[in-house]
Amino acid sequence: MVDEKNLRDKAKEVLERDDVRRLIGWARGTYGYESAPVVLKDASEVDKLIFDPTCVQNPASFITLEEKKPVPRGQEPDTRKVAVLVKGCDSRAIVQQLVEKAYDREGVIVLGVPCTGVVDRRKAAKMFGDTSEPVEISEEGDKYVLTVNGEKKEAPKAELVADKCLRCRYPNPLVYDMLVADEVEKWADDEFADVDEFAGQTPEEKWKFWEEQFSKCIRCYSCRNVCPMCYCVECVVTKQKPQWTRRATDISENTAYHIQRAWHLAGRCIECMECQRVCPVDIPIMTLNRKLTRDVKEMFEYEPGVDVEAEPLLACYNPQDPEEYIM
Amino acid sequence: MSEEFEPNIVAFLCNWCSYAGADLAGTSRMHYLPNIKIIRVMCSGRVNPLFLVNALQQGADGVLISGCHPGDCHYLEGNYFARRRFMLMRKLLEHVGVDPGRVNMSWVSASEGAKFKEVIDETVAMAKEAGPMDQFRRRQLNW
Amino acid sequence: MGDFKFAKDKMAEVIGALKDYQVLAPKAVGDVLRFQPVEDPAQVSLDYPNTNVPPKELMFPETETLFKYRVGQTDIEPEVPDASARRLIFGIRPCDALAYTIVDKLYAWDFPDPYYQKRREATVLFGFACSEPAANCFCPSMGGGPASEKGLDALMFDVGDTIYVKTLTDKGEEAAKAMGLEAAGEAQMKAADAQEKEALAKIKRTLDHSGIPEKLPSLYDHTMWERFSDRCLSCGICTFLCPTCHCFDIQDEMEGFDGRRARMWDTCMFSEYTLHTSGHNPRPTRKERTRNRISHKYSYFPEKFDVIACVGCGRCINYCPVNIDLLDILEDVKKAEVKEAKTA
Repeated sequence: MVDEKNLRDKAKEVLERDDVRRLIGWARGTYGYESAPVVLKDASEVDKLIFDPTCVQNPASFITLEEKKPVPRGQEPDTRKVAVLVKGCDSRAIVQQLVEKAYDREGVIVLGVPCTGVVDRRKAAKMFGDTSEPVEISEEGDKYVLTVNGEKKEAPKAELVADKCLRCRYPNPLVYDMLVADEVEKWADDEFADVDEFAGQTPEEKWKFWEEQFSKCIRCYSCRNVCPMCYCVECVVTKQKPQWTRRATDISENTAYHIQRAWHLAGRCIECMECQRVCPVDIPIMTLNRKLTRDVKEMFEYEPGVDVEAEPLLACYNPQDPEEYIM
Repeated sequence: MSEEFEPNIVAFLCNWCSYAGADLAGTSRMHYLPNIKIIRVMCSGRVNPLFLVNALQQGADGVLISGCHPGDCHYLEGNYFARRRFMLMRKLLEHVGVDPGRVNMSWVSASEGAKFKEVIDETVAMAKEAGPMDQFRRRQLNW
Repeated sequence: MGDFKFAKDKMAEVIGALKDYQVLAPKAVGDVLRFQPVEDPAQVSLDYPNTNVPPKELMFPETETLFKYRVGQTDIEPEVPDASARRLIFGIRPCDALAYTIVDKLYAWDFPDPYYQKRREATVLFGFACSEPAANCFCPSMGGGPASEKGLDALMFDVGDTIYVKTLTDKGEEAAKAMGLEAAGEAQMKAADAQEKEALAKIKRTLDHSGIPEKLPSLYDHTMWERFSDRCLSCGICTFLCPTCHCFDIQDEMEGFDGRRARMWDTCMFSEYTLHTSGHNPRPTRKERTRNRISHKYSYFPEKFDVIACVGCGRCINYCPVNIDLLDILEDVKKAEVKEAKTA
């Protein structure tokens, strides 16, 4: 269990340092079952920080989201560090970003938060209804206790927790400069049963499913923008010279976009599942990404976001790589 | 006579081995199926897997990437990278519902004219079996 | 105008009677609701809060062809929709109808847009009053309400086993006659009134926007914008799901010698929004773009058209993945201290 006072004290220590520019964490949302990510610039603001099962967002996405503005003449660029609070799944994003040399290890200070699961707001809304007030959620044994519109409600954890948490193998951060709470036990394994179930269908059944799903897509690119691994300055889908994917939202372009994104995440997706959570039209994006995660593990024995010393998957090869279908 | 479906195959051939192999098949007067449209690239490692997606969007019923045998790449490692990429891209396309027979890869060296003919025959046969690519083709009719 | 009613279990018949209209109603794919053409009237259900994608897509589609062309030919025929092809939107919420009245002003402004206008002319709006406002609705603060009549041709109320239909315009009256509705009685009208009062009482979130349009330009350099833009993902969900947002991009697409010019939804939240061909971008970071969006809706648009481009539907709040709350931002705007303007 994370003691919020301890978390705030540690955050305060970090923000008081001269070499720290900002700290990214979670604050209470303005309504409903999710927290709001927050970027603090001053140690006096640490009381805004919280940690409870509403903290679903991945703060590691915000490290690479920050734009690098050109510095006016005569001014020096601000090279101070960025501090970030991360759960176990979020820390894999930092590991993978370091593997890809997106930034220096010295440029970030990682405050690790061992996590025991976050709530899926859709499940919570189905159970307790929507609310205009922020909901506080605490964990008691295998139950969640929620304060919805002033009333205390209870539910078994297994019914409210996000699907990704039910197969979480990394509840403890894999990279950190300090931990804000004690480490927790690993509480599940991932057999990729959902991938196998989907893959067992015929091509016609699969396409029928995806055609319906991709027709809903409005190409808002939220999945791409929230993804901690999508940090290219110019993304292939928005490239105009030459244009790979047209902006029209027909089935051809929508399918091409999703294939492109899943492809660019091959061997890089760290399964924070944010893409699926943010999609406004409920496209099961992770179904594609998890297929590649499973295949990458089977074929190349590689898992992204776990070892800082690893090489990126597609930047290396093994002369004995499988070639089952090659003529 | 009924019109039999003739698939359109786009073939990316590496300059040093596969393209030369195709050339050998031609100069040896081996008849290989005319369904393929060849794009010469310097190395199979140059082929971006997104080219496949684009080709399928533009009306290709099947795609072939052909390079030097592993260990014999003219640029030493290009085909190793290509091998990894296309193994994964094929799996991804399969998961979307694209018939795996549409995505093909082969190692054809400069002296293997006969093998090239066989590769083409096989590729066209698999694309024929998969049928016309209609899933996420760009449609003028939609306009 | 007129007061009509029909029994709820006769809804399929009533819709089926509209032979001369293409009827559009909310349809669910999983948990996602959007307005779609009705194929089976028996499947229509009005048991829904509001659609994910607003019905703006029915007047201003996600992607539409402006005209087709062929290389070598000089004539082009604009593909303007047929104003006589009648459509009826069944079950649109009052906030979304109010949004149409706001966007109408823009599409009739410097260039009367035939694509939008012809669709508007051809469409009858049968609204559906809200009995259960959603958590983040604030339409009464923006000039609307759970039973607001603005922009609608008719307004339906669910009063138990019956649907009470109040027609508001000639188009609405014509459609009601086509549906074969019977006259309503005092009981239904009273029940509708009571429902409106109850629904108003259930709306929790409010906004007093007086003074905001005038104040916003002076907050241009204020640091308050960073509090929200720091966590903005530039994803554009707020704009795509907003019923009054109307940015679009125009692209030419070619296949061989044939091509089309198409218009599709765009967003001011993407980094490419004001990216110039030279590479310069006057709104390079999320701070400038977030500030621009709020200022556009609450200051620049009202300056030109005398109405705030927001109807209080709450979708931007509900769907923002990082909890950027419009009402939170506007509270900050009201509290912010205006610094002295820089003189030239």
